[in-house]
Amino acid sequence: MGERVSIGRDEVLHVARLAELAVRDDEVDRLVEQMNRIVDYVAQLDEVPADHQAAPFLPGPVQVPLRADTPGSVPLARPPAAMAPEFADGFFLVPRHGAMEEP
Amino acid sequence: MSGRAVALETASKLRAAEGLNAVLHWSQEALDAEGERVDRMPAPGPLAGMAIALKDNIVTTEEPTTCGSRILSGYTSPYTATAVARLRAAGALVAVKANMDEFAMGSSTENSAFGRVRHPLDPERVPGGSSGGSAALVAAGVVPAALGSETGGSVRQPASFCGVVGLKPSYGRVSRYGLVAFGSSLDCISVFSRTVDDAGRVLAAMSGVDSLDVTTLDRPPMTAPAPRADLRGLRIGLPREYFPPDLHGGVASALHRTREAIEQLGGTTREVSLPHSRYAVPTYYIVAPAEAAANLARYDGVRYGPRMVGPAGDIHALYQATRGEGFGAEVRRRILVGTYVLSAGYYDAYYRKAQRVRALIADDFRQAFASGVDLLLTPTTPTPAFKAGEKTEDPVAMYLADIFVCAVNLAGLPAVSLPVGRSEGLPVGAQLIAPYLEEERLLAAAAALERAVPADGEVR
Repeated sequence: MGERVSIGRDEVLHVARLAELAVRDDEVDRLVEQMNRIVDYVAQLDEVPADHQAAPFLPGPVQVPLRADTPGSVPLARPPAAMAPEFADGFFLVPRHGAMEEP
Repeated sequence: MSGRAVALETASKLRAAEGLNAVLHWSQEALDAEGERVDRMPAPGPLAGMAIALKDNIVTTEEPTTCGSRILSGYTSPYTATAVARLRAAGALVAVKANMDEFAMGSSTENSAFGRVRHPLDPERVPGGSSGGSAALVAAGVVPAALGSETGGSVRQPASFCGVVGLKPSYGRVSRYGLVAFGSSLDCISVFSRTVDDAGRVLAAMSGVDSLDVTTLDRPPMTAPAPRADLRGLRIGLPREYFPPDLHGGVASALHRTREAIEQLGGTTREVSLPHSRYAVPTYYIVAPAEAAANLARYDGVRYGPRMVGPAGDIHALYQATRGEGFGAEVRRRILVGTYVLSAGYYDAYYRKAQRVRALIADDFRQAFASGVDLLLTPTTPTPAFKAGEKTEDPVAMYLADIFVCAVNLAGLPAVSLPVGRSEGLPVGAQLIAPYLEEERLLAAAAALERAVPADGEVR
């Protein structure tokens, strides 16, 4: 984090693409400012000396018990078709993926 | 009182409290059905006839679940949360869904797509967040108890602002099945109530292993403890990092009075140190957005809610337009920060580092308890409830409202916020923190303090 450069417009747009999030042109400057504010704030973890770093920590059971890997169905009060914007023949319908289109 | 009578009374209180904007979904029919179901139970359960509201990120098959977001408009879950099923089996009426910060991201319940929740004592102020609707309903006397969820203090903080009890259990005590995921290593269903006894009974009814959530602990369900008559023999640590010189005067006075009450009840207090406390909020604001960015990837316009097609008309345009339109400003900000800290080149610098600091924060608590204290006492919040709009322009200022609560979530510990007085008419909360799985010790001590410290007394 020490050599971190501030986040610019291009970086915000790049991250938004990674997150599949449309960002309007008129909100980019504000997002740049707010992301810099947040990332500058969390960068204070730099002060914690590296030689004091412990192993990553997660709460909860020491060992997570795994269920047997056998397929089964969870009873549902209503089918997926009742939730999805478009659903037919057991499939969620979406527009064609650009890369899969015929040239 | 019959279940049917509770349903009618709850409905009339809900109508009277409409101005709070604390509720997103309820109907007389659903409440009546719950009342009739409870009346038909062969034996009254431990929560017989208790109406319990749910934060709108806990699913039922009867009511919609929106998480305070437009992106889940029209969604009703096809299954019921384990916690809800257990409360119903214990005799509770569960049919009211409470307003919340969108996807539980916020500290003031100003981030709901359905409008902000008002503080029951002062409509200009916020009830805290993100479970502000649940807190306001309990504080206004609409329901005796409500479920919220905590990722970084989202029940204790609003409990403190609203003057009610807020109980967060150990991570793994209560199944997360049916709690919409935000930060999965942090998320905990938690309880609001007006008394410590009610909070303990509700938690006991929900607790216990669940095969549908592998992070639940394989232990017998918790029992609600009998309150202690006094605090003799109990050693309570006061972490010096939680009592800064610039702590709000009313909060400092209320905590001083709480400390005196502990000593009058025969308990002892002494200063301890949690040296990494100042890093809790920055650690949280790396870990939680990172987990959120992954968890919220599922809202893409394919499987739930409304769909926006986007200008290019392909699948990416559909994802981007649906998510860009469907999520509010704070959720989008956190998804961007979470994606940034997980992205190539930054993962080690942010996420891995934060996970290691998280371990140091958890270790601080272990060492404090190992040094010979049974519980810790801290303020729950640095100030009483603030005014709406006061912190909405600066995300970091809003995050700092959780400065005394979020370390507990990082460490997975149980804690309770108790109302311990009022400053200029606004409630002040004191927080007790216990070692992992020591909810019974925590609740027994909290119940003794509850009797000794007047919740409504003005402090100076």
